[in-house]
Amino acid sequence: MTSMADTLRFEPCSLPPELDDLRARVRAFLEQELATYSAVKRSHSWEAYDAEFSAKLGAQGWLGMTLPTEYGGHGRSALERYVVVEECLVAGAPTAFHWVADRQSGPLLVRYATEEQKHHIIPQITAGKACFAIGMSEPNSGSDLASLRTRAERTSNGWLVNGTKIWTSNAHRANYMIALFRTDPDPDKKHAALSQFLIDLKAVKGITPRTIQNLAGGRNFNEVAFVDVELPEDALIGTEGEGWRQVTEELAYERSGPERYLSCFFLLRKLIDVVKDTASPATLARIGAQVAWATTLRNMSLNIAARLNAGEAPVLAASIVKDLGCQFEQCLPGIAQELCELEPTLEGFGLEYQQVLGSMVQTAPSFSLRGGTPEIMRGIIAKGMGVR
Amino acid sequence: MNEERQILQDSVNRLFSDRLGWDQLTAIEESGFPADLWEEVSEQGITKVIASEAAGGMAGSWADAYVVLHACGRHGVPLPVAETIICEWLARSADFVLPDAAIAGLLERPITAEALSDGTLQLSSEPVPWGRQATCLVGVTEGSSGSELVVADAAGLTIEPQDNIGRDPRDRLSGSAAVLARLPLALPADCVAWYGALARSAQIAGGGAACLDLALKFTGEREQFGRPLAAFQAIQHYLSDLAGTVCAVDAIAMAACHALDERGINGAERNARFEIAAAKCRASEAVEKLTRLSHQVHGAIGFTYEYGLHFTTRRLWSWRAEFGSAAHWGAHLGAVACQVGGNGIWGEITG
Repeated sequence: MTSMADTLRFEPCSLPPELDDLRARVRAFLEQELATYSAVKRSHSWEAYDAEFSAKLGAQGWLGMTLPTEYGGHGRSALERYVVVEECLVAGAPTAFHWVADRQSGPLLVRYATEEQKHHIIPQITAGKACFAIGMSEPNSGSDLASLRTRAERTSNGWLVNGTKIWTSNAHRANYMIALFRTDPDPDKKHAALSQFLIDLKAVKGITPRTIQNLAGGRNFNEVAFVDVELPEDALIGTEGEGWRQVTEELAYERSGPERYLSCFFLLRKLIDVVKDTASPATLARIGAQVAWATTLRNMSLNIAARLNAGEAPVLAASIVKDLGCQFEQCLPGIAQELCELEPTLEGFGLEYQQVLGSMVQTAPSFSLRGGTPEIMRGIIAKGMGVR
Repeated sequence: MNEERQILQDSVNRLFSDRLGWDQLTAIEESGFPADLWEEVSEQGITKVIASEAAGGMAGSWADAYVVLHACGRHGVPLPVAETIICEWLARSADFVLPDAAIAGLLERPITAEALSDGTLQLSSEPVPWGRQATCLVGVTEGSSGSELVVADAAGLTIEPQDNIGRDPRDRLSGSAAVLARLPLALPADCVAWYGALARSAQIAGGGAACLDLALKFTGEREQFGRPLAAFQAIQHYLSDLAGTVCAVDAIAMAACHALDERGINGAERNARFEIAAAKCRASEAVEKLTRLSHQVHGAIGFTYEYGLHFTTRRLWSWRAEFGSAAHWGAHLGAVACQVGGNGIWGEITG
């Protein structure tokens, strides 16, 4: 009698009207701060690294918003943070420096770090002064993350780490890394042998990041070699052997945010401006269909934000929105090229629209690779429906 | 979902599920309008979900109506429930009570000033869903000072019977109808197009839910190569994509009902038109994937008349176009986007 669709339903959620004021303040701040930034930089949004901007956002009180005040956070609701995050994405604010820290590392540390670590690090996150990298994938462990092999062995006074991480964004310039290592060599304990570690990248020796240039020329991600890296006892975050569960919790934050459908929104804005005076009815229909998609995804994304705010971990719902959001944003550069004859260009050539298109055409393949592929998302959705 | 709405959802789905199995749907397609079922549905107040209390209704919201419309889509209900709900809403908005026991025919297009004279309404091949069953007609006209609700007698009209590919009547009526009532209406003259689009979006969401349920059931039972179809990764990905597509239509159609309850479709300030247009645009576009994937996982059996997937998919193909295609509503949103520009479009989305 009950339909699966009833079980999966995304009920409508509205943000409380008192957040309108916050939204207006964030918009005004971003409009002023970003006026001098190039369109291409803005199009990169949460992949654009800018320590100075992050510090300014922190000074406004808009980082670490949900973290407890006793550690220097702002004790605000997840919905307030949601407003700041979506406004930053839509405006094309360069948020890469603080992105991971604000989204997932902060909440993870609040849950699992020692009191000393929390008092030391959370204020840095809140100030926009701490950049975090996440060490998960390895050269031979991509989608099959639990097959990772980097070892952390217990020593008399801490841990000794050897192995290699890859696709680690910002490892060459971050302050901290939270990494998943194998703490038990027993081959039968695939998932149960993993643990999470907090690494102070500025203090520890033996870690060598090598940046990997992406196809667009950007240098965000790295291969990171760990050679006899000595970590202190308290580098272990949470419980030994519980790393997989902790990472899965963290992925609920990583996969559920509005960045999973807004990566290309800056291009949509530029496209609207470039076609608006000459658009044929067919072009209007196509533009409108993208607006309809964005409106739909925002409603679904808000529902997830409300569930997170209520303390739920909507992993299945987040996977659905990430899969749909990726379909939407990855198609946008192609749709733009169908609607407008202007070719994509490199930065500095042609109209702003063309430069943004040039940037997004080259970046779009990563949308379905980062944070879990559609193949993985669809596996999670199928499992959630009881299919597997 | 609140408790009352949950009870409504359960009871409506239970009734339709009992009365509209594939055998019954087949029989109805052969014999025509199921008057007994219509009577039962009317008696249970299902078509009165949104009608005023004076009209014996529940005076519910569009969010309540959504539950009924969704169920109609899910069960391929071969009755003018959606159209009657809109008629009841129009009547409620004009403080009017529709004639007792009437089957109201909804005039899809606004009534022109020329069509109304001397207490009669001139119809020239006007589209009216289930027009052949209608005992009265309900429509909206642009009056001298705002719009008006027009209720007319449906007796004596010429009926051009026509069914859509869902086999639901989409008749055209011609002739002279006696006007029973003309009342000021605090709604725009084009409102039926918007309510119709919203109703069809909700029905498409329900139809999508039925496609998903049938696809899950079939692929869980049917075995090939020694395994259930659902054990194959390619099939799992189809099912997941189907589920996501259903969720998206459901979410935006519910959001549109919510917006309509909060803000109406009148007025210059931000009203629900943006969400309704987004809902029908997304719903109509989604029909392609909903029908393609659900048929694909069923293989040949889903293409037979005997297996009832078509009771849903044929309706989805009709609803996709009815009350405006994805291109129609997309063009509306595209025009809004081009009017406010790249800097303003996000403000439209956030309201």
